[in-house]
Amino acid sequence: MSEIAKPKNPEDDWKVWLVLNPATWLMPIFFMLLIIALALHAVVFQMGFGWA
Amino acid sequence: MAEQSLSGLTEQQAKEFHEQFKITYTAYVGLAALVHLFIIAANPWF
Repeated sequence: MSEIAKPKNPEDDWKVWLVLNPATWLMPIFFMLLIIALALHAVVFQMGFGWA
Repeated sequence: MAEQSLSGLTEQQAKEFHEQFKITYTAYVGLAALVHLFIIAANPWF
């Protein structure tokens, strides 16, 4: 494939918003974060690390 | 038509949004770290 410049992170992190429009994708990103957090809590509680 | 990004944001808008995104994300990680310290204090898992 043609040589595409490799990003240098974190300096180029901001460029993600040239691809994902936050007006469209910010809430889906937050909902994904919520789902991951809920799943993580379920696993941790399952493992017996719930309340004392 | 001028060079437009896939998202439609200009470079300046993307950089401006990213600044706020970094602040909010840092606060989120900070809060999570704080809560983990409370868990370690109250009920260590190791």
